[in-house]
Amino acid sequence: MFLIHCPHCQEDRPEIEFAYAGEAHIVRPGPEQQDAMSDAEWSEFMFIRDNVRGEHCERWWHANGCNMFFNAVRNTVSDKFIKTYKIGHKRPSASQIQKWKDAANG
Amino acid sequence: MSSDMKFDQGLTLPEILSGNDLKIMLLPEKVRYSLRIKPSDIAAVNKASGLKLPRKIGGSNLGKDQFVMCLGPDEWFVVANVDARDRLEKIFAKLEKSFTLSITDVSHRNICFGLMGADAVKAVNIGCPLDLSLEHFPVGKVTRTVFESAPIILTRTGEDNFGIECWRSFAPYIRGFFERYATDKAAA
Repeated sequence: MFLIHCPHCQEDRPEIEFAYAGEAHIVRPGPEQQDAMSDAEWSEFMFIRDNVRGEHCERWWHANGCNMFFNAVRNTVSDKFIKTYKIGHKRPSASQIQKWKDAANG
Repeated sequence: MSSDMKFDQGLTLPEILSGNDLKIMLLPEKVRYSLRIKPSDIAAVNKASGLKLPRKIGGSNLGKDQFVMCLGPDEWFVVANVDARDRLEKIFAKLEKSFTLSITDVSHRNICFGLMGADAVKAVNIGCPLDLSLEHFPVGKVTRTVFESAPIILTRTGEDNFGIECWRSFAPYIRGFFERYATDKAAA
């Protein structure tokens, strides 16, 4: 069974309780910024994503659990979760992700 | 509403399976409230209401006539006997005056199946993938989860005593699941 660690419940829970919610750390422009944006910029914000091969920061939703959104670093090739963290934390740097991977491996 | 109200629980079968090692039944009607409260207010709310809302997600407090549980960082669920309704409504009316919170009566939305007996863990685990060992799911723990893909709230009130609280629209589906389980168990 595939387990995901929920940073709110602070335990490993079955994947069936969770829902994927897109790429993380995308800042929604405020109303004034939106007015100033061109159509091309708006479509970029709406539709263009990094589609990373490898470690990807993404949002997950513990829909059938504590009902909270949180962020996760997941390897899109191996589907392995490296770390989950609460929304509000900064996007982890490459060296931070490497540290987490080293800690997980031993 | 008077305290002798009868809910249409959407089901009439009181007992689905009755054996030495497993008993599954539809529990009697209860009043239920969903509470959304700011986590920073919870100490003050507890002081003002005496509800003993647990602070830890998955925690619960079983009282004489009420069962309060914490489902998320800002979400609590209260299940109480029907005759506790007036008392709770008074408490909630008082809370609404002094706090920013949301209290919703969901009595008619949910029903609860009770599972009792030595085989209860096995029966719950057929539809629910959680680790139900006492180490990971001790007595008193509650959580929202899934049972055969239907959203439920799983409660453990004793070592061999579980409650499966689900929306009444899912109730016939879950009852059907237990009925098939009972038939298979009898045949085995």
